[in-house]
Amino acid sequence: MKKSILIYHRNQSGISLIWGSYLFLIFLIVTSCNDLIEENPKKIAEETFYNTALEVETAVNAIYTPLCQNPQNGALGVNSVYGEFTYGRGSWAALNDYSGLNDTWITRVSGWWQSLYLGIRNANIVIKNVPNASSLSQTQINTFVAEAKFLRAFTYFHLVRNWGGVPLRTENNIMEINVKRSTESEIYSLIMSDLVDAETNLPDMPRLIGTPSKWAAKTLLADVYLFLGKYDLASQKAKEVIDSNKYSLVAVSSTDDFQKIFGPKVTTTSEEIFYLRYTHDKNQGNTWPALMNHPGTGLYGKSGVYGVYGLSTNTAYKNWDNNDLRKGQWYSWNIGVGANSLLSKKFIDPETASLDGGANSITWYRYADLLLIYAEAASRTNNGPTADAMEALNKVHRRAYGYNPASSASVDFKLADYNLTSFIDLVLQERGYEFDLEGKRWSDLKRTGKATEIILAVKGKTVAPKNYLWPIPVNEFNFNKAMDPAKDQNPGY
Amino acid sequence: MLRFTLFCFFFSLIQVMALDSYSQQTRLTLNEHDRRLEDVLKTIEDKTEFFFLYNKDLINVDQKVDVKVTNQTIKETMDALLKGTDIHYSVANRQIILSNVDNNSNLRIQQQKSISGKVADVSGQPLPGVSIVVKGSTNGVITNAEGNYSLINVSDNAILIFSFVGMKTQEITTKGKTTIDVKLEEETIGIEEVVAVGYGTMKKSDLTGSVSSVKPQELKAIQSSNALQSLTGRIAGVNISQNTGAPGSAMSIRIRGINSIQGGNEPLYVIDGFPTNQSMLLALNNSDIESIEVLKDASSTAIYGSRGANGVVLITTKQGKAKKTQIDFETSYGVQTLRKKMDLMDAKEYAMFVNETLANSNLSPYFSQDVINGLGKGFDWQNALFHNAPEKKVSLNLTSGNEKTQFSLGGSIFNQDGIIRRSDYNRYSLVLNLNHAISNKVSVNVSGILSYVDTDRKDSGGGNRGAGIIGGTLSGPPTLSPYNEDGTYRELKTAYPFISNSISNPINALNEATSNNKENKILINASVVYNPISELTVKIAGGIVNNDAISESYLTNKFLGGFSSASMGSSRYRSLLNENTVSYDKTFNRKHKVSLLAGFTYQDFVTISLSGSGTGYVSDVTENFDLGAAITPGIPSSGYSKSSLMSALTRLNYVYNDKYLATLSFRGDGASQYTEGDKWGFFPSGALAWRVSSEEFFKDVPYISNLKFRTSWGIAGNQAIGAYTTLNTLSSGNSAFGDGLHVTYAPGTRLPQALKWESTVTQNIGIDLGLFANKVNLIADYYIKNTKDLLNSVGLPLSMGYTSTIKNIGEMQNKGFEFGIDANPINGDFKWNINFNISFNKNTIKKLYNNQDILGGSLDVNLVQDYINILREGQPVGRFWGYIEDGYDEKGQIKFKDMDGDKQITMKDKTYIGDPNPDFIYGLQSSMNYKNFELTFFIQGSYGNDIFNVSSINSTLDYGIGLNMPREVYLNHWTPDNVNAKYPILKVSTNVKASDRFVEDGSYIRLKNIELAYNMNLKKIGMDHVRFYVSGQNLLTITGYSWWDPEVNSLGSAISQGIDYYTYPTAKVISLGIQARF
Repeated sequence: MKKSILIYHRNQSGISLIWGSYLFLIFLIVTSCNDLIEENPKKIAEETFYNTALEVETAVNAIYTPLCQNPQNGALGVNSVYGEFTYGRGSWAALNDYSGLNDTWITRVSGWWQSLYLGIRNANIVIKNVPNASSLSQTQINTFVAEAKFLRAFTYFHLVRNWGGVPLRTENNIMEINVKRSTESEIYSLIMSDLVDAETNLPDMPRLIGTPSKWAAKTLLADVYLFLGKYDLASQKAKEVIDSNKYSLVAVSSTDDFQKIFGPKVTTTSEEIFYLRYTHDKNQGNTWPALMNHPGTGLYGKSGVYGVYGLSTNTAYKNWDNNDLRKGQWYSWNIGVGANSLLSKKFIDPETASLDGGANSITWYRYADLLLIYAEAASRTNNGPTADAMEALNKVHRRAYGYNPASSASVDFKLADYNLTSFIDLVLQERGYEFDLEGKRWSDLKRTGKATEIILAVKGKTVAPKNYLWPIPVNEFNFNKAMDPAKDQNPGY
Repeated sequence: MLRFTLFCFFFSLIQVMALDSYSQQTRLTLNEHDRRLEDVLKTIEDKTEFFFLYNKDLINVDQKVDVKVTNQTIKETMDALLKGTDIHYSVANRQIILSNVDNNSNLRIQQQKSISGKVADVSGQPLPGVSIVVKGSTNGVITNAEGNYSLINVSDNAILIFSFVGMKTQEITTKGKTTIDVKLEEETIGIEEVVAVGYGTMKKSDLTGSVSSVKPQELKAIQSSNALQSLTGRIAGVNISQNTGAPGSAMSIRIRGINSIQGGNEPLYVIDGFPTNQSMLLALNNSDIESIEVLKDASSTAIYGSRGANGVVLITTKQGKAKKTQIDFETSYGVQTLRKKMDLMDAKEYAMFVNETLANSNLSPYFSQDVINGLGKGFDWQNALFHNAPEKKVSLNLTSGNEKTQFSLGGSIFNQDGIIRRSDYNRYSLVLNLNHAISNKVSVNVSGILSYVDTDRKDSGGGNRGAGIIGGTLSGPPTLSPYNEDGTYRELKTAYPFISNSISNPINALNEATSNNKENKILINASVVYNPISELTVKIAGGIVNNDAISESYLTNKFLGGFSSASMGSSRYRSLLNENTVSYDKTFNRKHKVSLLAGFTYQDFVTISLSGSGTGYVSDVTENFDLGAAITPGIPSSGYSKSSLMSALTRLNYVYNDKYLATLSFRGDGASQYTEGDKWGFFPSGALAWRVSSEEFFKDVPYISNLKFRTSWGIAGNQAIGAYTTLNTLSSGNSAFGDGLHVTYAPGTRLPQALKWESTVTQNIGIDLGLFANKVNLIADYYIKNTKDLLNSVGLPLSMGYTSTIKNIGEMQNKGFEFGIDANPINGDFKWNINFNISFNKNTIKKLYNNQDILGGSLDVNLVQDYINILREGQPVGRFWGYIEDGYDEKGQIKFKDMDGDKQITMKDKTYIGDPNPDFIYGLQSSMNYKNFELTFFIQGSYGNDIFNVSSINSTLDYGIGLNMPREVYLNHWTPDNVNAKYPILKVSTNVKASDRFVEDGSYIRLKNIELAYNMNLKKIGMDHVRFYVSGQNLLTITGYSWWDPEVNSLGSAISQGIDYYTYPTAKVISLGIQARF
């Protein structure tokens, strides 16, 4: 027994030594452990960014990305198919009835709402942070902020026209979760003040092809004023753009020549005011052209889903003058809905490699649009068409027949033949032909109060009142406690 | 600098995992003077796991001995102890047999007859040291090294008792015999089995927690491509399912339910002590595995701290043994076939179906009557896609060693062709384990796994309206063939004016699209073990896991629907591990058995990735190996992520008198991905057990041979988030402008927040019961797991731009009961072992942020675009969420129930339409032996789980776009004469919503495996044995599920379980094989 105690003692000293050195090691490691479990990502921290011109450019560029995402699921798609010439097939057929959006379309436009607000957040980040940039001149700061404000106004303009009043998110409440629904006029106030800033501070020439110049800001402002019924201001802004002589219509002599405007290889044209751009690069393509093309034609690579089509029996199509080169963009192709179906070759890209790979731009503001804004606004201000207004309309009209837009032609409308009402109808019809599939038609029909009448006349469908506005996404109500689904949802949803 | 030095220190030291070579590893220190030999032997038994076997009549254990050894092996100790006596010893595993110098010379001679013979085990191996005693006397003898014995002085009607520890005792009458040869059978008590637990091993009888152990012979009994397939249905509480039937596809393992929404629900996989992931386990061949232990309750998993909440799977690869070289060779060849073919319309039916659809939609028919009359069966796309696919396996394993060095070396090749042509899986693995004792105090161990896995994928499951290979096969019109008359591929998208714009020609995709993944996987773990004294073990281990993966894909110029395109990506995952543990094991006063473990570990995880792509190639010859030649080059991308985990751990096991057992453990984990201040999490556990059967008062209880009550409590965690989740960082991107792409930087859409650990508190009570000398063993466990600080994604208003954030907000509960029984009802020439387990688990979401529902599983198949799973408080995770159908309207369109009574069908009418969680799962294995024959079968099943059959949305209701469909749609759809049909009117537009129509009962019972084997003993020709077998997998399945296979989980995720979306079907397999041992 005695001896085993001895052993025990000896062993314990061994244990102590080992334990001692072990504990010492642990002590050494634990003291350095805060280093070992610290994160050092090879990523840029938000807090240290937005200082140099290069950094700020990338932050401004990031505003465009969400605005380019799936536009066909928003105004571009829905507002085109809701026009009088077009129909939807497959999941797009749900839009043919004008009875409100179904679950599929509620989900799709919710996605577009999300994209638009992501663009607004990215714009707000620029507007908030860039004034504190350490290595920018005041002019540079003003220019970048103006570009962000232009884009924010452009985005809110889409929101307010399709949803009415929406939550107003600016650089002052980026991190606020609960924001109430603002009125339409509150949204328009922000849009106007942003655009006034943009027209003042944006450069004469755009930073890059595809970014706005001050003239783009004036064009957008003219369009906003037109929607608000401020025709004098709209006419004034549009006139400033015309008088700048920066833009002219692209001449065409055949239907296929319109590819000089809408084609995938167009870099820029004298007609471009503000377009969203796409390329053949992965995840950088435009999906909208896929909706009007068929894989059998080869006009959109080897793909196309022909979800948007026309019918040769449609009265609006039948009434369209066959000599109008724009009408020729609709061609006959059997897509399984009957022998009368038509597809459009306005947006084609024979070299696209995939469905979502179109390189065609979305032509949100072309000079043709500006001219027709001017024609309408100037005439409404004047309470009757003016010679300038008629010339603006005729420029667009005669180009469509293959004539030189700048000189008068046999197809010109005569000032004497029109009063205010008939002239406004004429402009509206011209806009329908000119901006077919460019996402403007439904807004135009709603703005002019002609939607119900024209859709009933052409398609025989009664437009349900709830169809004027889209539902605010359910997710917004679920997580934004300042909004009440009972009070703040649009009618019909 | 300090850190660098420490690293150099730790990584220059190497590790040990010594499970088996107990006799070499165990060190003894004794200092006894003038004590009875018997007492000294008892001391050795207490200090070690050795026990002595001797015959008291032959061995004088009362003699006094002196012994003094310090940290010696058993051999050295015994030599010292028995020096000067006439006693010999031999060590066999943990038995030490004592014998006289010459067994025969010391026997007393009497006037009766003598008996002699040979004792061997079932395989014919002679057994030395077997005790043979004449019943009712002290007359006895022990067999010699050759197993021979000779016993004199036996009366003619005496009974001989043959006994040997670990073997069943036999009694044989001597009447009329002079030679008695005996074969002793192994006693399958299993109670002294040693099992792996976290950071060590334990006697199974000392376990306090819930641990299931699977041995190699059980793994071997099931032919499968990986160990997880072999485990399916075998362990109570463990739900294993294959996500798809594609070769090499991942498996879902859920131990006691789903605990996490945000994080993974896979257990932690620890291979030879290295915590890693499932893909490393799938890189192993079954023949490389020595044992698998599944740790289920918190008292056993808490030692793995923040990674233990989903349970832990411990895998031990084959270890070397100190015995003569043993070679195991196995090869098998199997044929896989499609288990079930879908019954689709033939060409004539298809044409009439299309015409009826068009006619109902006021469109003119497409197929004229003449054409229809000329149509027959048409083209069978299923036959074109599926084939009978071979599966080949070869493995060779070599184990050998002496007292100082032992090693095991295994190599294997596994080639599996998929039942879909051109999809295959090839695995080549090499596994080495090496133990070497440098001195009697220091030993080293290295275990290394090198595996190369090459997978050709053709399992692009999903794809709506005929897209994808499987969708295209089921939807391809039987009126069309894959090729045009000129031999080019037919573009199905333009074949008919009405046809789906998404439908793909599956044969084109099969031949002209390749997608391949090649991975080099390395796991090396090394350790140094230092035993300054026998009770104390210091172990320093270092290891590395490295996974280099290259993924390639190429679409040729013949691929329909696009241009040739190529991409190549490379990613490297590397994990470094350092573990330093000290353990101390000692028994005090023969009654207090204490083992103490303490350790410190560090592990980091680094992933780097690089990928490139391009579209449009002049020639297909270069495939994806000339990305630079693309007409439109893609944007290259690369990434980096690193996280690290630092831990301190300790565990105390205490056993009093073999009756009362206690375990306490504690781990602290510091992880890089959590917020400063919340980086450290603490995970304690405790367990108590009472072995009632060891109590004195239990000695006389009949039938019950083992009874143990266990209870445990503990906390384990789930990391649930990846690196950098809590940091405000900017993501780069590109935006197009007129002159090309420009860089963008913006925050992501998830708002970063401060986060801490998700933790799960588990309470477990269990009972182990052995009956009839442990011929029947029952294990039952009841548990409650409460997960708190559940990380869940909290939605933000879309108008914020940030769409979600993650918060520690939720709570979830899993409650369940598990029961297992293992019995050997018949033992003799005919042997039968039967094993059954069943487990019930009930999952409930207890709390979510602000009671907000979480919608999982957004589904977009054009016809339906909706969310089909919901997470809601009070409900089990992932319930199916949709509309309830209410028959047909007068036009034959589907009606839905107006649940909220507002007279219209809106999202508010959605309700629970199914539950993917099973009520219970079960498995039954039976193995029968008769002489050289062996018949094993295994039945496995699941009851009460629903499947959301997404495939059937497009495939049974998407009319008017020319998809082929199950024949049933043609035969049983709504017409004015058949208003109660299964399917609605055939019309171009159908009123379809995510409804209960698609929810089917997914219960099934399956004959997973059946195997007949013949064993040949070939000792005479120098081999050990050869086993021939024929085996079948998935030969019989009973289920009400209408589609290919009920064992399906397309999305593989926790919150979107039980979804079948054009999944690669499961095959049935018949294989032949040979196993040989030399």
